[in-house]
Amino acid sequence: MLRAQLLDLASQSHRVPIGADLVLHQHDDAEAILCDGARLGAVVAEAAVRFRSPLAFPIMDLRLEKAELLRFFGVSADAVDKFHFTTAPTAAQRREYSRYVCEGEPSARVQANLGALRYIAQQPGMLPIGMCIGPFSLTTKLMADPITPVCMAGSGIGAEEDADVALLEACAELSITCVLRQIERALDAGACAVFIAEPAANQVYFSPLQLAGGSDIFDRCVMEPNRRIAELLASRNADLLFHCCGEITDTMLDSFCSLHPSLLSLGSSRRLWEDAARVPKDIVLYGNLASKMFYSDETMPLIRVVDQVTELAARMAATGHPFIMGTECDTLHVPEYAATIRAKVDCLCSGPRVATRDQIPCASASHLVTILDPKAP
Amino acid sequence: MNELVEKICLCIERGKVNLASPYPKDLKGQEGADEFSRQAIAAGVGPDVILQACNDGMQRIGAKFGRGEAFVPELLMAAKAMNAVMAHLKPFFAAGTVKAKGKFVLGTVAGDLHDIGKNLVSMVVAGNGWEVLDLGVDVKPAKFLDAVRNNPGCIVGLSALLTTTMGNMAATVKELKTVFPTTVVIVGGAPLTAEAAAQMGADGYAHDPQAAAAFLGKFATAA
Repeated sequence: MLRAQLLDLASQSHRVPIGADLVLHQHDDAEAILCDGARLGAVVAEAAVRFRSPLAFPIMDLRLEKAELLRFFGVSADAVDKFHFTTAPTAAQRREYSRYVCEGEPSARVQANLGALRYIAQQPGMLPIGMCIGPFSLTTKLMADPITPVCMAGSGIGAEEDADVALLEACAELSITCVLRQIERALDAGACAVFIAEPAANQVYFSPLQLAGGSDIFDRCVMEPNRRIAELLASRNADLLFHCCGEITDTMLDSFCSLHPSLLSLGSSRRLWEDAARVPKDIVLYGNLASKMFYSDETMPLIRVVDQVTELAARMAATGHPFIMGTECDTLHVPEYAATIRAKVDCLCSGPRVATRDQIPCASASHLVTILDPKAP
Repeated sequence: MNELVEKICLCIERGKVNLASPYPKDLKGQEGADEFSRQAIAAGVGPDVILQACNDGMQRIGAKFGRGEAFVPELLMAAKAMNAVMAHLKPFFAAGTVKAKGKFVLGTVAGDLHDIGKNLVSMVVAGNGWEVLDLGVDVKPAKFLDAVRNNPGCIVGLSALLTTTMGNMAATVKELKTVFPTTVVIVGGAPLTAEAAAQMGADGYAHDPQAAAAFLGKFATAA
Protein backbone atom coordinates (compact mmCIF):
# COMPACT_ATOMS: atom_id res chain seq x y z
CA MET A 1 0.00 0.00 0.00
CA LEU A 2 1.19 3.50 -0.81
CA ARG A 3 -0.05 5.05 2.43
CA ALA A 4 3.03 4.03 4.40
CA GLN A 5 5.32 5.40 1.73
CA LEU A 6 3.43 8.69 1.62
CA LEU A 7 3.64 9.01 5.37
CA ASP A 8 7.34 8.30 5.13
CA LEU A 9 7.80 10.94 2.43
CA ALA A 10 5.84 13.41 4.54
CA SER A 11 8.11 12.73 7.47
CA GLN A 12 11.02 13.73 5.24
CA SER A 13 9.40 17.09 4.37
CA HIS A 14 8.97 15.90 0.81
CA ARG A 15 7.84 18.39 -1.82
CA VAL A 16 6.52 17.73 -5.29
CA PRO A 17 4.35 19.70 -7.68
CA ILE A 18 1.81 18.16 -9.98
CA GLY A 19 3.59 19.36 -13.06
CA ALA A 20 4.07 16.69 -15.72
CA ASP A 21 2.40 19.04 -18.20
CA LEU A 22 5.29 21.50 -17.80
CA VAL A 23 7.79 18.78 -18.65
CA LEU A 24 5.67 17.48 -21.52
CA HIS A 25 5.69 20.88 -23.18
CA GLN A 26 9.45 21.10 -23.06
CA HIS A 27 9.27 18.54 -25.85
CA ASP A 28 8.63 19.79 -29.38
CA ASP A 29 6.03 17.14 -30.18
CA ALA A 30 3.90 17.20 -27.03
CA GLU A 31 0.71 16.25 -28.86
CA ALA A 32 2.32 13.18 -30.41
CA ILE A 33 3.72 12.10 -27.04
CA LEU A 34 0.22 12.13 -25.55
CA CYS A 35 -0.71 9.27 -27.87
CA ASP A 36 2.44 7.20 -27.33
CA GLY A 37 2.44 5.19 -24.11
CA ALA A 38 6.18 4.59 -23.84
CA ARG A 39 7.09 8.20 -24.64
CA LEU A 40 4.40 9.54 -22.32
CA GLY A 41 5.69 7.24 -19.60
CA ALA A 42 9.18 8.58 -20.20
CA VAL A 43 7.88 12.14 -19.80
CA VAL A 44 6.10 11.29 -16.54
CA ALA A 45 9.31 9.64 -15.33
CA GLU A 46 11.29 12.69 -16.45
CA ALA A 47 8.95 14.88 -14.40
CA ALA A 48 9.38 12.69 -11.33
CA VAL A 49 13.17 12.84 -11.71
CA ARG A 50 13.12 16.57 -12.28
CA PHE A 51 10.98 17.12 -9.21
CA ARG A 52 13.10 14.61 -7.26
CA SER A 53 10.11 12.52 -6.26
CA PRO A 54 9.17 8.85 -6.45
CA LEU A 55 5.57 9.99 -7.01
CA ALA A 56 5.02 9.75 -10.74
CA PHE A 57 2.01 12.02 -11.07
CA PRO A 58 0.69 11.69 -14.62
CA ILE A 59 -0.83 14.37 -16.85
CA MET A 60 -4.09 15.62 -15.36
CA ASP A 61 -6.32 15.93 -18.41
CA LEU A 62 -9.85 16.00 -17.06
CA ARG A 63 -11.38 16.02 -20.54
CA LEU A 64 -10.27 12.49 -21.25
CA GLU A 65 -13.07 10.55 -19.59
CA LYS A 66 -15.76 12.74 -21.14
CA ALA A 67 -14.31 11.99 -24.57
CA GLU A 68 -14.13 8.31 -23.70
CA LEU A 69 -17.76 8.24 -22.57
CA LEU A 70 -19.08 10.18 -25.53
CA ARG A 71 -17.44 7.85 -28.06
CA PHE A 72 -20.26 5.45 -27.24
CA PHE A 73 -22.80 8.14 -28.10
CA GLY A 74 -21.16 8.84 -31.43
CA VAL A 75 -19.87 12.30 -30.57
CA SER A 76 -16.86 13.13 -32.69
CA ALA A 77 -13.60 13.95 -30.93
CA ASP A 78 -13.61 17.58 -32.05
CA ALA A 79 -17.15 18.09 -30.74
CA VAL A 80 -16.61 16.54 -27.32
CA ASP A 81 -15.61 19.61 -25.34
CA LYS A 82 -18.72 21.57 -26.31
CA PHE A 83 -21.14 18.65 -26.18
CA HIS A 84 -23.83 18.52 -23.51
CA PHE A 85 -26.74 16.14 -23.17
CA THR A 86 -30.02 18.00 -23.54
CA THR A 87 -32.22 15.06 -22.64
CA ALA A 88 -31.49 12.19 -20.30
CA PRO A 89 -29.96 9.14 -21.98
CA THR A 90 -32.48 6.33 -21.68
CA ALA A 91 -32.19 3.42 -19.30
CA ALA A 92 -31.57 1.16 -22.30
CA GLN A 93 -28.73 3.41 -23.47
CA ARG A 94 -27.21 3.40 -20.01
CA ARG A 95 -27.40 -0.40 -19.83
CA GLU A 96 -25.84 -0.67 -23.28
CA TYR A 97 -23.09 1.73 -22.22
CA SER A 98 -22.32 -0.46 -19.21
CA ARG A 99 -21.76 -3.39 -21.56
CA TYR A 100 -19.77 -1.31 -24.03
CA VAL A 101 -17.46 0.12 -21.39
CA CYS A 102 -16.39 -3.37 -20.32
CA GLU A 103 -15.86 -4.73 -23.80
CA GLY A 104 -14.87 -1.75 -25.93
CA GLU A 105 -11.31 -0.78 -26.73
CA PRO A 106 -10.16 2.44 -25.08
CA SER A 107 -9.21 5.44 -27.19
CA ALA A 108 -5.64 6.09 -28.31
CA ARG A 109 -5.17 8.70 -25.57
CA VAL A 110 -6.40 6.36 -22.86
CA GLN A 111 -4.25 3.54 -24.23
CA ALA A 112 -1.26 5.87 -24.09
CA ASN A 113 -2.00 6.71 -20.46
CA LEU A 114 -2.17 3.02 -19.67
CA GLY A 115 1.05 2.45 -21.56
CA ALA A 116 2.65 5.22 -19.50
CA LEU A 117 1.54 3.52 -16.31
CA ARG A 118 3.07 0.24 -17.47
CA TYR A 119 6.28 2.10 -18.28
CA ILE A 120 6.44 3.74 -14.85
CA ALA A 121 5.66 0.43 -13.16
CA GLN A 122 8.92 -0.90 -14.63
CA GLN A 123 11.03 2.01 -13.40
CA PRO A 124 12.83 1.24 -10.16
CA GLY A 125 12.01 3.65 -7.37
CA MET A 126 8.96 5.15 -9.05
CA LEU A 127 5.39 4.78 -7.94
CA PRO A 128 2.88 4.40 -10.77
CA ILE A 129 -0.18 6.56 -10.11
CA GLY A 130 -3.33 6.56 -12.18
CA MET A 131 -5.33 9.71 -12.81
CA CYS A 132 -9.06 10.03 -13.34
CA ILE A 133 -11.70 12.72 -13.10
CA GLY A 134 -14.12 12.27 -10.23
CA PRO A 135 -17.61 11.03 -11.10
CA PHE A 136 -19.41 14.19 -10.06
CA SER A 137 -17.00 16.43 -11.92
CA LEU A 138 -17.52 14.29 -15.02
CA THR A 139 -21.27 14.60 -14.57
CA THR A 140 -21.00 18.39 -14.57
CA LYS A 141 -19.18 18.26 -17.89
CA LEU A 142 -22.02 16.34 -19.51
CA MET A 143 -24.62 19.03 -18.82
CA ALA A 144 -24.90 22.64 -19.94
CA ASP A 145 -26.22 23.71 -16.55
CA PRO A 146 -25.47 21.26 -13.75
CA ILE A 147 -26.05 23.76 -10.94
CA THR A 148 -29.80 24.14 -11.39
CA PRO A 149 -30.66 20.40 -11.22
CA VAL A 150 -28.30 19.90 -8.27
CA CYS A 151 -30.09 22.75 -6.52
CA MET A 152 -33.49 21.28 -7.46
CA ALA A 153 -32.54 17.79 -6.34
CA GLY A 154 -31.09 19.27 -3.18
CA SER A 155 -34.52 20.69 -2.45
CA GLY A 156 -35.96 17.21 -2.53
CA ILE A 157 -37.24 17.33 -6.10
CA GLY A 158 -37.09 13.94 -7.81
CA ALA A 159 -36.29 12.88 -11.34
CA GLU A 160 -39.94 12.12 -11.95
CA GLU A 161 -40.83 15.74 -11.18
CA ASP A 162 -38.18 17.57 -13.12
CA ALA A 163 -36.52 16.73 -16.45
CA ASP A 164 -33.27 18.41 -15.44
CA VAL A 165 -33.03 16.30 -12.30
CA ALA A 166 -33.65 13.22 -14.46
CA LEU A 167 -30.82 14.37 -16.72
CA LEU A 168 -28.55 14.83 -13.72
CA GLU A 169 -29.26 11.32 -12.45
CA ALA A 170 -28.75 9.73 -15.86
CA CYS A 171 -25.46 11.57 -16.38
CA ALA A 172 -24.33 10.59 -12.89
CA GLU A 173 -24.98 6.93 -13.66
CA LEU A 174 -23.00 7.12 -16.91
CA SER A 175 -20.19 8.95 -15.15
CA ILE A 176 -19.61 6.46 -12.38
CA THR A 177 -19.75 3.60 -14.87
CA CYS A 178 -17.11 5.32 -16.98
CA VAL A 179 -14.89 6.26 -14.03
CA LEU A 180 -14.95 2.83 -12.41
CA ARG A 181 -13.89 1.25 -15.69
CA GLN A 182 -11.08 3.77 -16.15
CA ILE A 183 -9.83 2.97 -12.67
CA GLU A 184 -9.93 -0.75 -13.34
CA ARG A 185 -7.88 -0.20 -16.47
CA ALA A 186 -5.33 1.86 -14.55
CA LEU A 187 -5.03 -0.82 -11.89
CA ASP A 188 -4.67 -3.50 -14.56
CA ALA A 189 -1.83 -1.43 -16.04
CA GLY A 190 -0.01 -1.44 -12.73
CA ALA A 191 -1.17 1.65 -10.86
CA CYS A 192 -0.60 1.34 -7.12
CA ALA A 193 -2.88 4.31 -6.48
CA VAL A 194 -5.36 6.44 -8.38
CA PHE A 195 -5.58 10.19 -8.08
CA ILE A 196 -9.26 11.11 -8.26
CA ALA A 197 -9.67 14.75 -9.28
CA GLU A 198 -13.06 15.93 -8.11
CA PRO A 199 -12.78 19.74 -8.39
CA ALA A 200 -16.52 20.27 -8.86
CA ALA A 201 -17.34 18.90 -5.40
CA ASN A 202 -17.50 22.41 -4.04
CA GLN A 203 -19.82 25.18 -2.93
CA VAL A 204 -20.34 26.53 -6.43
CA TYR A 205 -22.37 23.43 -7.22
CA PHE A 206 -23.61 22.65 -3.74
CA SER A 207 -25.19 25.37 -1.65
CA PRO A 208 -23.94 25.29 1.93
CA LEU A 209 -27.38 26.65 2.84
CA GLN A 210 -29.05 23.55 1.47
CA LEU A 211 -26.53 21.26 3.11
CA ALA A 212 -26.89 23.04 6.45
CA GLY A 213 -30.66 22.61 6.07
CA GLY A 214 -30.25 18.86 6.04
CA SER A 215 -30.09 18.10 2.33
CA ASP A 216 -28.25 14.90 1.44
CA ILE A 217 -27.48 16.07 -2.08
CA PHE A 218 -23.71 16.26 -1.56
CA ASP A 219 -23.68 12.72 -0.25
CA ARG A 220 -25.81 11.46 -3.13
CA CYS A 221 -23.93 13.25 -5.89
CA VAL A 222 -20.35 13.16 -4.62
CA MET A 223 -19.83 10.81 -1.74
CA GLU A 224 -21.86 7.79 -2.78
CA PRO A 225 -20.05 7.33 -6.13
CA ASN A 226 -16.69 8.10 -4.57
CA ARG A 227 -17.33 5.49 -1.88
CA ARG A 228 -17.72 2.98 -4.71
CA ILE A 229 -14.35 4.10 -6.03
CA ALA A 230 -12.75 3.77 -2.59
CA GLU A 231 -14.21 0.26 -2.28
CA LEU A 232 -12.91 -0.73 -5.70
CA LEU A 233 -9.42 0.52 -4.89
CA ALA A 234 -9.42 -1.19 -1.52
CA SER A 235 -10.52 -4.45 -3.12
CA ARG A 236 -7.50 -4.22 -5.40
CA ASN A 237 -5.14 -3.26 -2.59
CA ALA A 238 -4.56 0.14 -4.17
CA ASP A 239 -4.68 3.59 -2.65
CA LEU A 240 -7.03 6.48 -3.16
CA LEU A 241 -5.49 9.91 -3.61
CA PHE A 242 -8.34 12.41 -3.49
CA HIS A 243 -8.16 15.91 -4.95
CA CYS A 244 -10.53 18.83 -4.80
CA CYS A 245 -9.19 22.31 -5.53
CA GLY A 246 -12.59 23.99 -5.36
CA GLU A 247 -13.87 26.08 -2.48
CA ILE A 248 -15.25 23.67 0.06
CA THR A 249 -16.85 23.83 3.47
CA ASP A 250 -15.52 22.09 6.56
CA THR A 251 -18.36 19.59 6.25
CA MET A 252 -17.27 18.75 2.72
CA LEU A 253 -13.73 18.27 3.99
CA ASP A 254 -14.99 15.89 6.66
CA SER A 255 -16.84 13.95 3.97
CA PHE A 256 -13.69 13.63 1.89
CA CYS A 257 -11.85 12.33 4.95
CA SER A 258 -14.53 9.67 5.39
CA LEU A 259 -13.26 8.14 2.15
CA HIS A 260 -9.99 7.56 4.03
CA PRO A 261 -7.74 8.52 1.14
CA SER A 262 -4.01 8.07 1.59
CA LEU A 263 -3.48 11.59 0.35
CA LEU A 264 -5.86 14.53 0.34
CA SER A 265 -5.05 17.34 -2.06
CA LEU A 266 -6.83 20.65 -1.52
CA GLY A 267 -7.00 24.04 -3.21
CA SER A 268 -5.36 27.24 -2.09
CA SER A 269 -8.59 28.55 -0.56
CA ARG A 270 -7.97 26.21 2.38
CA ARG A 271 -5.67 26.82 5.31
CA LEU A 272 -4.12 23.42 5.57
CA TRP A 273 -2.69 24.11 9.01
CA GLU A 274 -6.24 24.62 10.26
CA ASP A 275 -7.59 21.68 8.28
CA ALA A 276 -4.95 19.46 9.87
CA ALA A 277 -7.01 19.34 13.06
CA ARG A 278 -9.97 17.84 11.14
CA VAL A 279 -8.01 15.32 9.10
CA PRO A 280 -7.04 11.91 10.51
CA LYS A 281 -3.31 11.51 11.05
CA ASP A 282 -2.98 8.71 8.55
CA ILE A 283 -4.19 10.91 5.69
CA VAL A 284 -1.34 12.91 4.20
CA LEU A 285 -2.34 16.46 3.36
CA TYR A 286 -1.03 17.68 0.04
CA GLY A 287 -0.85 21.10 -1.52
CA ASN A 288 -1.67 23.85 -1.71
CA LEU A 289 0.40 26.64 -3.14
CA ALA A 290 -1.66 28.94 -5.32
CA SER A 291 -0.22 27.55 -8.54
CA LYS A 292 -3.13 28.78 -10.64
CA MET A 293 -1.69 32.25 -10.05
CA PHE A 294 1.89 31.31 -10.95
CA TYR A 295 1.42 32.78 -14.43
CA SER A 296 1.09 36.29 -13.03
CA ASP A 297 4.12 38.17 -11.75
CA GLU A 298 1.81 40.94 -10.62
CA THR A 299 -0.38 38.75 -8.44
CA MET A 300 2.19 36.12 -7.55
CA PRO A 301 5.74 37.40 -7.83
CA LEU A 302 8.47 34.94 -7.00
CA ILE A 303 9.00 36.53 -3.62
CA ARG A 304 5.41 35.78 -2.70
CA VAL A 305 5.91 32.12 -3.63
CA VAL A 306 8.92 32.10 -1.35
CA ASP A 307 6.77 33.59 1.39
CA GLN A 308 4.04 31.02 0.87
CA VAL A 309 6.51 28.13 0.80
CA THR A 310 8.12 29.38 3.99
CA GLU A 311 4.88 30.01 5.82
CA LEU A 312 3.23 26.76 4.75
CA ALA A 313 6.28 24.69 5.68
CA ALA A 314 6.50 26.32 9.10
CA ARG A 315 2.81 26.17 9.89
CA MET A 316 2.43 22.58 8.78
CA ALA A 317 5.51 21.53 10.70
CA ALA A 318 3.94 23.13 13.77
CA THR A 319 0.79 21.01 13.38
CA GLY A 320 2.77 17.79 13.19
CA HIS A 321 0.34 16.54 10.56
CA PRO A 322 1.77 14.43 7.74
CA PHE A 323 2.18 16.86 4.88
CA ILE A 324 3.69 16.96 1.41
CA MET A 325 4.04 20.43 -0.01
CA GLY A 326 2.81 20.80 -3.56
CA THR A 327 0.61 22.70 -5.93
CA GLU A 328 -3.10 23.32 -5.57
CA CYS A 329 -3.78 21.61 -8.87
CA ASP A 330 -2.03 20.49 -12.03
CA THR A 331 0.46 23.18 -12.96
CA LEU A 332 -0.19 23.71 -16.62
CA HIS A 333 2.12 24.96 -19.30
CA VAL A 334 1.09 28.42 -20.51
CA PRO A 335 3.32 29.40 -23.42
CA GLU A 336 3.23 33.14 -22.70
CA TYR A 337 4.23 32.65 -19.07
CA ALA A 338 6.31 29.48 -19.24
CA ALA A 339 9.50 30.89 -17.71
CA THR A 340 7.89 32.43 -14.66
CA ILE A 341 5.75 29.35 -13.98
CA ARG A 342 8.84 27.14 -14.11
CA ALA A 343 10.75 29.46 -11.80
CA LYS A 344 7.96 29.28 -9.23
CA VAL A 345 7.68 25.51 -9.47
CA ASP A 346 11.42 25.30 -8.94
CA CYS A 347 10.99 27.54 -5.92
CA LEU A 348 8.44 25.10 -4.52
CA CYS A 349 10.80 22.18 -5.03
CA SER A 350 13.96 23.74 -3.70
CA GLY A 351 12.79 26.81 -1.82
CA PRO A 352 13.72 27.70 1.72
CA ARG A 353 12.92 25.07 4.29
CA VAL A 354 13.87 26.89 7.41
CA ALA A 355 14.50 30.41 6.14
CA THR A 356 12.34 33.22 7.32
CA ARG A 357 11.45 36.14 5.15
CA ASP A 358 13.96 38.28 7.03
CA GLN A 359 16.71 36.02 5.78
CA ILE A 360 15.87 36.85 2.19
CA PRO A 361 17.86 39.97 1.46
CA CYS A 362 16.31 41.03 -1.80
CA ALA A 363 13.08 40.50 -3.67
CA SER A 364 14.69 40.43 -7.06
CA ALA A 365 14.41 37.25 -9.04
CA SER A 366 18.11 37.01 -9.72
CA HIS A 367 18.91 37.12 -6.03
CA LEU A 368 16.25 34.55 -5.29
CA VAL A 369 17.51 32.16 -7.90
CA THR A 370 20.88 32.29 -6.18
CA ILE A 371 19.34 31.79 -2.78
CA LEU A 372 17.08 28.96 -3.82
CA ASP A 373 19.50 27.14 -6.03
CA PRO A 374 23.05 27.30 -4.77
CA LYS A 375 24.24 25.73 -8.01
CA ALA A 376 22.80 28.54 -10.10
CA PRO A 377 25.41 30.72 -11.79
CA MET B 1 -49.92 47.21 -7.29
CA ASN B 2 -47.10 47.64 -4.80
CA GLU B 3 -47.88 44.19 -3.53
CA LEU B 4 -47.28 42.73 -6.99
CA VAL B 5 -44.00 44.56 -7.31
CA GLU B 6 -42.90 43.30 -3.92
CA LYS B 7 -43.91 39.76 -4.91
CA ILE B 8 -41.78 40.01 -8.05
CA CYS B 9 -38.90 41.22 -5.96
CA LEU B 10 -39.35 38.41 -3.46
CA CYS B 11 -39.66 35.74 -6.16
CA ILE B 12 -36.38 36.91 -7.65
CA GLU B 13 -34.69 36.91 -4.28
CA ARG B 14 -35.95 33.38 -3.58
CA GLY B 15 -35.39 32.06 -7.12
CA LYS B 16 -39.05 31.25 -7.72
CA VAL B 17 -39.35 31.25 -11.52
CA ASN B 18 -42.96 30.29 -12.14
CA LEU B 19 -45.90 28.22 -10.95
CA ALA B 20 -44.51 25.05 -12.51
CA SER B 21 -41.12 25.37 -10.84
CA PRO B 22 -40.81 23.14 -7.77
CA TYR B 23 -38.02 25.38 -6.39
CA PRO B 24 -37.83 26.53 -3.69
CA LYS B 25 -39.54 23.69 -1.94
CA ASP B 26 -41.54 25.92 0.43
CA LEU B 27 -43.02 27.87 -2.51
CA LYS B 28 -43.89 24.78 -4.55
CA GLY B 29 -47.28 25.13 -6.20
CA GLN B 30 -47.30 28.91 -5.87
CA GLU B 31 -47.07 31.52 -8.58
CA GLY B 32 -43.65 32.92 -9.38
CA ALA B 33 -41.85 35.82 -11.04
CA ASP B 34 -43.28 34.91 -14.43
CA GLU B 35 -46.93 35.08 -13.34
CA PHE B 36 -46.55 38.12 -11.08
CA SER B 37 -44.77 40.17 -13.74
CA ARG B 38 -47.48 39.32 -16.28
CA GLN B 39 -50.12 40.35 -13.75
CA ALA B 40 -48.23 43.55 -12.99
CA ILE B 41 -48.07 44.54 -16.64
CA ALA B 42 -51.78 43.78 -17.02
CA ALA B 43 -52.49 45.94 -13.97
CA GLY B 44 -50.67 48.84 -15.57
CA VAL B 45 -47.51 48.79 -13.50
CA GLY B 46 -44.84 50.64 -15.46
CA PRO B 47 -42.12 48.51 -16.98
CA ASP B 48 -39.53 50.76 -15.35
CA VAL B 49 -41.06 49.91 -11.96
CA ILE B 50 -40.91 46.19 -12.76
CA LEU B 51 -37.34 46.57 -13.92
CA GLN B 52 -36.52 48.27 -10.65
CA ALA B 53 -38.09 45.32 -8.82
CA CYS B 54 -35.73 43.04 -10.73
CA ASN B 55 -32.86 45.22 -9.72
CA ASP B 56 -33.97 45.24 -6.08
CA GLY B 57 -34.45 41.46 -6.01
CA MET B 58 -31.00 40.88 -7.45
CA GLN B 59 -29.56 43.46 -5.05
CA ARG B 60 -31.05 41.59 -2.12
CA ILE B 61 -29.70 38.20 -3.17
CA GLY B 62 -26.43 39.85 -4.19
CA ALA B 63 -26.07 41.38 -0.74
CA LYS B 64 -26.69 37.96 0.83
CA PHE B 65 -24.10 36.50 -1.53
CA GLY B 66 -21.63 39.14 -0.44
CA ARG B 67 -22.29 38.35 3.21
CA GLY B 68 -21.90 34.61 2.67
CA GLU B 69 -25.59 34.05 3.37
CA ALA B 70 -26.30 32.87 -0.17
CA PHE B 71 -24.18 30.99 -2.67
CA VAL B 72 -23.87 30.47 -6.40
CA PRO B 73 -26.85 28.09 -6.65
CA GLU B 74 -29.14 30.62 -4.96
CA LEU B 75 -27.75 33.39 -7.14
CA LEU B 76 -28.31 31.32 -10.25
CA MET B 77 -31.90 30.51 -9.33
CA ALA B 78 -32.55 34.18 -8.62
CA ALA B 79 -31.14 35.10 -12.01
CA LYS B 80 -33.42 32.56 -13.65
CA ALA B 81 -36.43 34.10 -11.94
CA MET B 82 -35.29 37.51 -13.07
CA ASN B 83 -34.95 36.24 -16.63
CA ALA B 84 -38.58 35.19 -16.51
CA VAL B 85 -39.50 38.80 -15.73
CA MET B 86 -37.18 40.20 -18.35
CA ALA B 87 -38.90 38.10 -21.00
CA HIS B 88 -42.06 40.12 -20.33
CA LEU B 89 -40.15 43.40 -20.49
CA LYS B 90 -38.53 42.69 -23.85
CA PRO B 91 -41.30 44.35 -25.89
CA PHE B 92 -40.92 47.51 -23.80
CA PHE B 93 -37.20 47.61 -24.48
CA ALA B 94 -37.88 47.04 -28.18
CA ALA B 95 -40.45 49.84 -28.27
CA GLY B 96 -38.15 52.22 -26.39
CA THR B 97 -40.55 52.53 -23.46
CA VAL B 98 -37.71 51.34 -21.26
CA LYS B 99 -34.19 52.22 -22.15
CA ALA B 100 -31.29 49.97 -21.37
CA LYS B 101 -28.45 51.47 -19.38
CA GLY B 102 -26.12 50.50 -22.17
CA LYS B 103 -24.92 47.51 -24.10
CA PHE B 104 -22.63 44.89 -22.61
CA VAL B 105 -20.83 42.45 -24.89
CA LEU B 106 -19.70 39.37 -23.00
CA GLY B 107 -17.87 36.15 -23.75
CA THR B 108 -15.45 33.51 -22.51
CA VAL B 109 -12.12 33.90 -24.26
CA ALA B 110 -10.70 31.61 -26.92
CA GLY B 111 -9.69 28.17 -25.72
CA ASP B 112 -11.91 28.29 -22.66
CA LEU B 113 -15.30 26.58 -22.53
CA HIS B 114 -16.32 27.52 -19.01
CA ASP B 115 -19.49 29.49 -18.80
CA ILE B 116 -20.87 29.39 -15.27
CA GLY B 117 -19.29 32.69 -14.25
CA LYS B 118 -20.02 34.32 -17.57
CA ASN B 119 -23.66 33.27 -17.47
CA LEU B 120 -24.10 34.59 -13.94
CA VAL B 121 -22.57 37.92 -14.92
CA SER B 122 -24.80 38.02 -17.98
CA MET B 123 -27.95 37.46 -15.97
CA VAL B 124 -27.09 39.82 -13.14
CA VAL B 125 -26.06 42.61 -15.51
CA ALA B 126 -29.23 42.13 -17.57
CA GLY B 127 -31.23 42.36 -14.37
CA ASN B 128 -29.55 45.67 -13.74
CA GLY B 129 -31.08 47.02 -16.92
CA TRP B 130 -28.29 46.45 -19.41
CA GLU B 131 -28.73 44.96 -22.84
CA VAL B 132 -26.41 41.97 -22.89
CA LEU B 133 -24.96 40.45 -26.03
CA ASP B 134 -23.56 37.07 -24.95
CA LEU B 135 -21.07 35.78 -27.51
CA GLY B 136 -20.77 32.41 -25.76
CA VAL B 137 -17.62 30.45 -24.99
CA ASP B 138 -14.32 29.95 -26.84
CA VAL B 139 -14.68 33.40 -28.43
CA LYS B 140 -11.86 34.46 -30.74
CA PRO B 141 -10.64 38.08 -30.57
CA ALA B 142 -12.03 38.77 -34.05
CA LYS B 143 -15.54 38.01 -32.82
CA PHE B 144 -15.18 40.49 -29.98
CA LEU B 145 -13.90 43.08 -32.45
CA ASP B 146 -16.87 42.49 -34.75
CA ALA B 147 -19.25 42.87 -31.82
CA VAL B 148 -17.71 46.19 -30.79
CA ARG B 149 -17.76 47.37 -34.39
CA ASN B 150 -21.46 46.54 -34.65
CA ASN B 151 -22.33 47.95 -31.24
CA PRO B 152 -20.63 51.32 -30.84
CA GLY B 153 -20.27 52.45 -27.27
CA CYS B 154 -20.66 48.99 -25.81
CA ILE B 155 -18.65 47.78 -22.85
CA VAL B 156 -16.86 44.45 -23.24
CA GLY B 157 -16.60 41.72 -20.60
CA LEU B 158 -14.10 38.87 -20.92
CA SER B 159 -14.32 35.73 -18.82
CA ALA B 160 -11.90 32.83 -18.33
CA LEU B 161 -11.43 30.04 -15.83
CA LEU B 162 -8.34 28.30 -17.13
CA THR B 163 -4.82 29.44 -16.37
CA THR B 164 -3.94 28.27 -19.85
CA THR B 165 -6.20 30.89 -21.42
CA MET B 166 -4.79 33.88 -19.56
CA GLY B 167 -2.56 34.55 -22.56
CA ASN B 168 -5.60 34.53 -24.83
CA MET B 169 -7.38 36.94 -22.53
CA ALA B 170 -4.41 39.31 -22.52
CA ALA B 171 -4.20 39.07 -26.31
CA THR B 172 -7.91 39.82 -26.66
CA VAL B 173 -7.67 42.87 -24.41
CA LYS B 174 -4.67 44.07 -26.40
CA GLU B 175 -6.46 43.67 -29.74
CA LEU B 176 -9.55 45.43 -28.45
CA LYS B 177 -7.52 48.31 -27.06
CA THR B 178 -5.49 48.58 -30.26
CA VAL B 179 -8.47 48.75 -32.58
CA PHE B 180 -10.92 50.48 -30.22
CA PRO B 181 -8.80 52.37 -27.68
CA THR B 182 -11.75 54.00 -25.94
CA THR B 183 -13.77 50.81 -25.49
CA VAL B 184 -14.10 49.90 -21.84
CA VAL B 185 -13.03 46.31 -21.08
CA ILE B 186 -13.71 44.46 -17.85
CA VAL B 187 -12.35 41.00 -17.10
CA GLY B 188 -13.12 38.31 -14.57
CA GLY B 189 -12.38 34.69 -13.73
CA ALA B 190 -10.82 32.49 -11.06
CA PRO B 191 -7.15 32.88 -12.03
CA LEU B 192 -7.45 36.68 -12.20
CA THR B 193 -6.82 39.46 -9.76
CA ALA B 194 -7.09 43.22 -10.09
CA GLU B 195 -3.32 43.42 -10.54
CA ALA B 196 -3.28 40.84 -13.32
CA ALA B 197 -6.24 42.55 -15.00
CA ALA B 198 -4.47 45.90 -14.92
CA GLN B 199 -1.33 44.33 -16.34
CA MET B 200 -3.39 43.03 -19.26
CA GLY B 201 -4.61 46.54 -19.94
CA ALA B 202 -8.20 45.98 -18.83
CA ASP B 203 -10.14 48.91 -17.40
CA GLY B 204 -11.79 46.86 -14.71
CA TYR B 205 -11.83 43.59 -12.87
CA ALA B 206 -14.80 41.91 -11.22
CA HIS B 207 -14.44 39.05 -8.80
CA ASP B 208 -18.16 38.34 -8.83
CA PRO B 209 -21.30 39.30 -10.80
CA GLN B 210 -22.25 42.09 -8.41
CA ALA B 211 -18.86 43.69 -8.83
CA ALA B 212 -19.33 43.57 -12.60
CA ALA B 213 -22.73 45.25 -12.30
CA ALA B 214 -21.29 47.89 -9.97
CA PHE B 215 -18.46 48.60 -12.39
CA LEU B 216 -20.89 48.97 -15.30
CA GLY B 217 -23.00 51.31 -13.21
CA LYS B 218 -20.31 53.94 -13.63
CA PHE B 219 -20.95 53.94 -17.38
CA ALA B 220 -24.75 53.77 -17.41
CA THR B 221 -26.29 55.98 -20.06
CA ALA B 222 -29.98 55.70 -19.17
CA ALA B 223 -31.96 55.30 -16.00
